[in-house]
Amino acid sequence: MTTKINYRQTCILVFLSQIALKFLALPSLMYMESGNESIFIALVMMITDGLYAFLLLGLARKSGEKNLYEFMCACLGKVITKIILVVLLLKYALVVANISKGLEFFVVDNLYTEFKWHYYVLPLIAVVGFMIYKGINNLGRVGEIVCWLIIVGIVYIALKSFSSADAESFLPLFESGVKPLFDCSFKYMSWFGSSTFILMLFGKIDFSRRKPWQMIRYILIAIALVQLVYFVFYGIFQVTSPTHSFCLSDISQFSSVHSSIDELSWLIVSLWIVAQAVQIAIYSYCIVEALKFIFNIKGEILPTLIVMLYIALLSLIGENTLGLERFFFSIYASVLSIVAQYIIPIIIWIAYLIRSKINKAKTPQQQKQTNLKQTKKVAQKRRAG
Amino acid sequence: MKINTQKTCEEIKSKLHNCSDIKTRSLKVFNKEVTLVYIADITDNQLLNDTVIYPLTNINKKAKGKIIDFIKEEILSSVEVTEITSVEDACQDILQGKTLLLLEGADKILGCDMEKIVVRAVEQPPTSLVIRGPREGFNESIKYNLALIRQRAKSDDLVITDLELGNITKTKVSVVYFDSLADKGVVKEILKRLKKIKIDGVMDSHYLISYLSNRPHSLFKQVGDTEKPDILVAKMLEGRVGILVDGSPIALTLPFILIEDLQNSDDYYGQPVHVSFVRILRLIGVIMAVLLPGAYIALSKFHYKILPLEFLVTIMNSSAGIPFSPFVEIIFCVLLFEILYEANLRMPQYLGIATSIVGALILGETAVNAGLVSPPAVMIVALSGITFYIVPSMAGQFSILRLVGCLIGACLGIYGMLLFCVYLVAYLSDFDSYKSPHLAPAAPFIKDDQKDFIVRKPISDMRKRPKSIPNNKKNDDRRVDNDNEN
Repeated sequence: MTTKINYRQTCILVFLSQIALKFLALPSLMYMESGNESIFIALVMMITDGLYAFLLLGLARKSGEKNLYEFMCACLGKVITKIILVVLLLKYALVVANISKGLEFFVVDNLYTEFKWHYYVLPLIAVVGFMIYKGINNLGRVGEIVCWLIIVGIVYIALKSFSSADAESFLPLFESGVKPLFDCSFKYMSWFGSSTFILMLFGKIDFSRRKPWQMIRYILIAIALVQLVYFVFYGIFQVTSPTHSFCLSDISQFSSVHSSIDELSWLIVSLWIVAQAVQIAIYSYCIVEALKFIFNIKGEILPTLIVMLYIALLSLIGENTLGLERFFFSIYASVLSIVAQYIIPIIIWIAYLIRSKINKAKTPQQQKQTNLKQTKKVAQKRRAG
Repeated sequence: MKINTQKTCEEIKSKLHNCSDIKTRSLKVFNKEVTLVYIADITDNQLLNDTVIYPLTNINKKAKGKIIDFIKEEILSSVEVTEITSVEDACQDILQGKTLLLLEGADKILGCDMEKIVVRAVEQPPTSLVIRGPREGFNESIKYNLALIRQRAKSDDLVITDLELGNITKTKVSVVYFDSLADKGVVKEILKRLKKIKIDGVMDSHYLISYLSNRPHSLFKQVGDTEKPDILVAKMLEGRVGILVDGSPIALTLPFILIEDLQNSDDYYGQPVHVSFVRILRLIGVIMAVLLPGAYIALSKFHYKILPLEFLVTIMNSSAGIPFSPFVEIIFCVLLFEILYEANLRMPQYLGIATSIVGALILGETAVNAGLVSPPAVMIVALSGITFYIVPSMAGQFSILRLVGCLIGACLGIYGMLLFCVYLVAYLSDFDSYKSPHLAPAAPFIKDDQKDFIVRKPISDMRKRPKSIPNNKKNDDRRVDNDNEN
């Protein structure tokens, strides 16, 4: 099994991370801040994430065979690299916490009458642990299988209830101005910024069959799905939207077409569990990589165990989630997300550009020597590893 | 080596523990003693008489040069005559069905191939019954099996590499492939693994599977098998390598991908649209076989609100008075089914019919009437049991997975079942053997190979060899002749 993923698998992972967190509590939470116009926040933020995905993929291409740590060390030096990696680690940990909490509430409220999450989380930890231990190639392949099931499921749920959505309830637009939109997007910043995981794929993407339109297609599908579901959700529930915490299952349940939730919808809603598990695995993999870089850990076992323990700990604080929830909505989480999602990629780009300018300014002989030194260093490190 | 017929004959016999089936026949040729040594039970007497004894007793020519060479070149009319220079080699050859010719004073022994092959006729294999297409199957003779392959592939590109495996049985194993199509790395790896095998005997091709698999302890199949020469040649045309074992009617194929078991040789002889429909049915059948009992347990234990009200009422009514939980009911039925299946499989045919009637009708009916199990539980297990055999080669794996699914459904409900599915996908995604991803062409997605995945396109559309299987890409264009493009 190769250690790299192909471009198509990368696109699918971007797609899965784009839709992660979008179909549970987020639409009802955003409605509280900015009403129906939240649909535009989702649109703008997802387009931004899509653009960042291209930016990061461009960087990943430039990195060649180097991983993020080697690439950043060459551009920014060791100290700044480690600081950036710590920020990224916190961001990934935040996303994993967010998704696993979302999954917990979703499963507890929708599928079981009596449920002890800290017992039920064990198989999730085992599956996620297995996937991250097996590496990014395994994640890419699993993503390829589940991706189409998820798309079909979401489209089915949204289209089935489409006729119940009242389009007129969206009008008039921007009645209270655009300020609530900015406030809302700042507050829920940590729910977006899905492209940051690409940073951990540096040196692991096979660009030999790169088709940029493929990436555009997957990003557009993700945006279209989110827009469709949000339109149906806000169109059906309107002012009662904040009381519906589980977008997908609630759409299906309260559609006027079907007075009660039908069997197929349940099956499809349940499929969301599969999507959540894969999404947790993607970001858990990022945590593993970040831990390896920061603490110079060799091998996969220790960081994988740390991540598994982290998810287990998250389940233990399931009984009293208030503290965690407060953190998700706090200014700290938003600032951390802005830095990790939008500022760090720009810093790396600028550093890379400066570095290449300096390299260009050197004479060809100097360049050769520097390249030789760098290659030797990388080779030595890999041998030692 | 100087031959003393009596002494050498005794030596050979003694090396073979003076077995009673070792026979000798002495003749006088050119006034010298000639002794024929052979194993009676594996020697074709008629052939021996016609090609060795008769020519030796009716010589009308004068000997030229060395007598032993003269006999080899001018007298014997056997198809294959080999020269043997040691008693050890002579013992090996006699065991392979050769008759040894010992000439007094000669410096070598002659070995004439007289092997009597006891085989059953070429029949339709019971595991691969087809409605359309060739009906012939392999039998236990590797010679016949290789002949069947040769008949289908009259190509100078066909390579047959022979090996001898088994310290005691010395079983002949042939590795067959098309030189210009098979990946050289894969062939090399297979030969390397086969040569490394140290085992007393190879009774069947399945003995080799654990040596050829990357994960011999895994539940999942990693080596393909077939009993039909048309399938084997078709697979070889895609770049795969076949392995035939003497004494086994089943040929192994490598590399193997999961989808191969969902495909049938019938698929390529039928209408593409119908075949695609049947493949979708098979896929649904596989999912039902593994997940249905577990899903039933999960739904009736944890998620009864998902069930339609009318169905829920039916289940409640039929389960009223049943002393066991849905899990115990299902496990009871599953185990009963497995026991009946095993009993049916091994019983004489006339008894087997009686057992299936007793099992299916009387036991099932009585268990329901006695209030031990509910009718839905029986129905679910029966449905799952039938769907098992939609892909018979995977039935063994399914029965284990079904039990695991039941256990997970009972402990964790639908949530657990879905995680079980994710785990299975992740586990199978990690299976790469001989450069082939096990879930290809789904994961990794290979666009060109979708023509023969779930939906099957007409054969004229399959212009390139599958990329899921490592093969010589340079010869891609030869798959479908360019003249047929219109």
